[in-house]
Amino acid sequence: MQAVELPLLGRPDLLTIAPASARVALTPSRLPEAGEQYRFHFDVEKCIGCKCCVVACNEQNGNPAEINWRRVGEIEGGVFPLAQRWHLSMGCNHCVEPSCMLGCPVEAYSKDALTGIVDHNPDQCIGCQYCTWNCSYGVPQFNEARGVVGKCDMCHSRLTAGAQPACVNACPSGAIAIEIVNVAAWRLAPENGNAPGLPSVMDSLSTTRITMPEKATELFNAISRVDNERVQPEHAHASLVFLLVLIQMAAGAMGAIAIAGSSAAWLAAGIAIVALAAAPMHLGRPIHAHRAWRGWKTSWLSREVIAFGLFAKAAIAAAWFGTPITAAAACVAGLFGIYCSARIYTVPARPAWNSWLTLADFYLTAFTLGPALLLAVGLIQTPLPVLVALIAQFVLTVYRRHAFEDSDIAERRSTARLLDHQLRHGFILRLTLLVAALIALPNAPVLAFVFALASELEGRALFFQSVVGKSAASAFLTPGGKAA
Amino acid sequence: MNPFRLLGIDNLSKEYAYTDDPVLGHTSAKRASEKWVKTTCGYCSVGCGMEVGVRDNKAVAVRGWEGHPVSFGKLCPKGLSEHHTLSASNRAQYPLLRKNGKLERVSWAEAIAALVENFGRSQAQYGRQALGVISTGQLLTEEFYALGKLVQLGFGTSNYDGNTTLCMASAVSGYKLTFGSDGPPGNYEDLRHADLVLLIGANIADNHPILVQHLGANAHKYLVVVDPRVTKTAMLADLHLPIRPRGDIALLNAMAHVILRDGLADESYIAAHTNGIEALRAHLAAYRPETVAPIAGLRVEQIVDLAHRYAKSKAAFIAWTMGVNHSTQGAETVNVINNLALLTGQIGRRGAAPFSITGQCNAMGSRETSFTSGLPGYRKFENAEDREELAKIWKVDASRVPAKRGYAYPDIINAAVNGEIKSLWIIATNPVVSYPNQAQLRAAFANLDFLVVQDGYHPNPTSELADLVLPAAIWGEKEGVYTNSERRVGKANPIVTPPGEAKPDFDIFLAIAETLGCREELFPNWTGPADAFAEIKTVTKGRLCDYSGMTYEAIETHGGLQWPFPEGANPTEPSRLYADGVFPTKSGKANLIPVTWEPFPDQPGKGFPFILNTGRTVEHWHTRTKTAQVALLERMSPNAWLEMNPEDARRLGLKSHENVSLVSRRGQVHNVELRLTEIIAPGQLFMPFHFVETNVNEVTQDAFDPISREPNYKQCAVRVERSSNPHS
Repeated sequence: MQAVELPLLGRPDLLTIAPASARVALTPSRLPEAGEQYRFHFDVEKCIGCKCCVVACNEQNGNPAEINWRRVGEIEGGVFPLAQRWHLSMGCNHCVEPSCMLGCPVEAYSKDALTGIVDHNPDQCIGCQYCTWNCSYGVPQFNEARGVVGKCDMCHSRLTAGAQPACVNACPSGAIAIEIVNVAAWRLAPENGNAPGLPSVMDSLSTTRITMPEKATELFNAISRVDNERVQPEHAHASLVFLLVLIQMAAGAMGAIAIAGSSAAWLAAGIAIVALAAAPMHLGRPIHAHRAWRGWKTSWLSREVIAFGLFAKAAIAAAWFGTPITAAAACVAGLFGIYCSARIYTVPARPAWNSWLTLADFYLTAFTLGPALLLAVGLIQTPLPVLVALIAQFVLTVYRRHAFEDSDIAERRSTARLLDHQLRHGFILRLTLLVAALIALPNAPVLAFVFALASELEGRALFFQSVVGKSAASAFLTPGGKAA
Repeated sequence: MNPFRLLGIDNLSKEYAYTDDPVLGHTSAKRASEKWVKTTCGYCSVGCGMEVGVRDNKAVAVRGWEGHPVSFGKLCPKGLSEHHTLSASNRAQYPLLRKNGKLERVSWAEAIAALVENFGRSQAQYGRQALGVISTGQLLTEEFYALGKLVQLGFGTSNYDGNTTLCMASAVSGYKLTFGSDGPPGNYEDLRHADLVLLIGANIADNHPILVQHLGANAHKYLVVVDPRVTKTAMLADLHLPIRPRGDIALLNAMAHVILRDGLADESYIAAHTNGIEALRAHLAAYRPETVAPIAGLRVEQIVDLAHRYAKSKAAFIAWTMGVNHSTQGAETVNVINNLALLTGQIGRRGAAPFSITGQCNAMGSRETSFTSGLPGYRKFENAEDREELAKIWKVDASRVPAKRGYAYPDIINAAVNGEIKSLWIIATNPVVSYPNQAQLRAAFANLDFLVVQDGYHPNPTSELADLVLPAAIWGEKEGVYTNSERRVGKANPIVTPPGEAKPDFDIFLAIAETLGCREELFPNWTGPADAFAEIKTVTKGRLCDYSGMTYEAIETHGGLQWPFPEGANPTEPSRLYADGVFPTKSGKANLIPVTWEPFPDQPGKGFPFILNTGRTVEHWHTRTKTAQVALLERMSPNAWLEMNPEDARRLGLKSHENVSLVSRRGQVHNVELRLTEIIAPGQLFMPFHFVETNVNEVTQDAFDPISREPNYKQCAVRVERSSNPHS
């Protein structure tokens, strides 16, 4: 492809006072050719931490104060007076393998064929916020008032019209620039995408090139983010807690019904329908929930939607026919759905979720609550499967917390810390309820079921609350106000 | 929640729409503008040029003024969001008078009558000087000029000062003592051409970020930053010297010692252009680097090396801000800086000057014309000729021009405490956040008969206490000029109309003069700021701060004009003072001034082991009256913090983000978020002063420079405790 000259992009930097040697264009003079894309270059040494870029970005995009598509983090190291402190101004990294896009269930994301810019279309978005979990840098942000996600698009329309992106234009020291990268070469040697305070460039092949000051190389390992000590619990996502626990219970119950040869598949079907009815409630745009299957080629969320859709239909069929074989078929669909669910959460950006323990946790919920329900309503008599599942769940819950405490992944350690401190009461409640279920099991199966259900609900709430996502380093203060 | 939003129908698509604006290009539709107004930023003294976009009488966008000689199209985060300060919800809109303990809305006529009556009562009962006036560095030069005449000649009190005494007074006094006049000798261009740039007590990356690009454009410079803390600016330096608090005079004296000892002084410059070399030489003998090193906390070879670099540079530039000024020896520290420049002839050439970087947008304008610490046009109270000149211009009897300065800001406060001052008029400043040792300020306010607060914002911490609130127009709503640090007079233009019944301060002053009965005498036929500007040109003609060749149009065309600007001056030629080596002293020579280093008052000791330093952060402006109203700035910097070295924290068992209390011999402040960091030395602390919620000035000391009357904000002794009530 012929390189296209962009007349305005080639103009010298508007910093007319800069000496000739420093007078570099901050945007490329041409469009990318095949195998190339645009990317950000950020020069840590030039940045003075003034945050003009953040203000310019919010003004450019009309975002409210609490949404910042560009943010400035701080990293620090060394010992006074040889302390070093630098700032990281980060927008979207327009990754080669954008995890936001790959996870999106509705194809709201696209990677522009010409520029490589990862665009997000708010009209397509259903506000599931899965991309906000998938991105290691915390780039996509949910706009609560509007019900959709948004993110930096490198000021796509400005750039292709020959104007500088807002952040590039606002920077008084020329620290932010747009340049062209050869994707294949970057894939082979992406080291300059790494910096202290940033997740690994390999998570999604981030394209942002970062120039660290020379003196940083010797101190690389001593430099760390200044927001390390600030760990806040996340939202519990009540509707997701409800959906996951109930649908897992329904699948487990369906399995128990099949094994017991019971004709009570209607019970599991009913629970599945209630669970699925709750599902769209966590969306920013429930009215568009029907689009959620579209991303099935890459999105585990779409696959989950399809699998549980099948499960619900099979469960209704099983209830209609009342035969163990139809119940077994429905159970298989349900178990596949649980697998899809778990895969949604096992993403690199969320280390506490990105573990076999998530899969085990979800299946154990099914294996605990399914039989426990049947036991409670008297459809089966043996408490043994419930007993085993409850003990396994207890052991795994305790193991998870201990394994994370000693993990070499900082985010997992933070999860353990949350369970020990801010979420301590919830964690104790979760374990106490498991023990209570165990105690009640031999003589009071209804009570045991209630305890087990409550424990799983609390456990799933903790699952969401205690996760610490990877992110680019942020500033020291809690945005918007003091930590509690 | 909105039912449309609950369902997921996009109810905010208009809010988030984009547009292709003819000026801005592709951008949020919120910023689409009908017209653009060129103006000068109203925050700090850098004096950036900006354009403000207006739609439906609302300021909707800001952009840098391309090619502006100061800012080159760039703005800091405060400037980039400055339009939001105009539409803040707490803008003062109506005059309010306290009746039965409550502030009630009154007409302007009633408000001004109350002011004149109450001030008159205090003055009749306790003498003319019983009225105190504290103004600001935020008004326009025309307003300062009008206010000065109104206060000194109309009300007849000289107990009038600006908050600039909390800020720039040491530079003013230091310049006057060394050079015979106020006036920063250098300019910003020097930053681009100096071989050595020495920033001392100046964290420009946080406080004057747009100046950094001038440094960035100087590829060959060697940048030295002298600061007790590893500031953002220290990180830009080729050499950071982590000086011990108040080690600056010792360091600078030792540099001068080395320069004289090693034969690096410019003896011919000294002989031709200075007085006092022998006394200085004798005085400096004691400041051997070996003696000074432990005081400054630096190594001997660092001091010697810096002295050599400074003296041997083709052009060496020293700039300072509050690290120097906020000191009981502030004026003297400025003298010592000036000594260095004079000893080496590093002054009056491109790239070579001592240079104070000012604080507020128009602190300089107040210095030139405000009639507080000096007479308008850099004239002296003590000089009978100066008084007569002015009296002639003003057509008043020379005896009405005071022959000595009235009380400075802290002395006005102390005079209120002891009952000398009974009425106080506070204009565009917020002492309830900014005054050191708040206990003393409270004692002063408690003693007043009548407190007037004239401000663009109400309620603010000070206006809440007022007996009378006068709502003022702010930057963007009125016309006039600001002078920046490099003596550049920039034009500020009205962009929108003021909210409610708020009026430009200029109009308020004339209305008061009218009621007081002195309008025709003091402001004959004046209708607007242009009339004041015309008189300022007359008053400054032939003076160092000469405006006589300026016009509003030329100022705007060139992005500001630097004084001295007599008629026929070149509008684009960078101006620097003392290029000819002639100084406005009696002898025409500059004074070399011996200064003795002293430890700062309120030394740390038993019970108060830490040295507390205070300062700023880039997101906020002074007492946050404006910037707290800009949601994004507030979000990025929502609360104060206290920086402590991890070594100290380990000893005290404290962790980052914990809420701590600071206790000094004067007061305490609670629930400050602790930040453990290696950018602060063990034994020292740093806390920003912007936050009334956790006001560091509850603990700072009300010790003042005997010469400049500037407070010693930068050091005081404190201890740190875990706050007992962490969540309140």
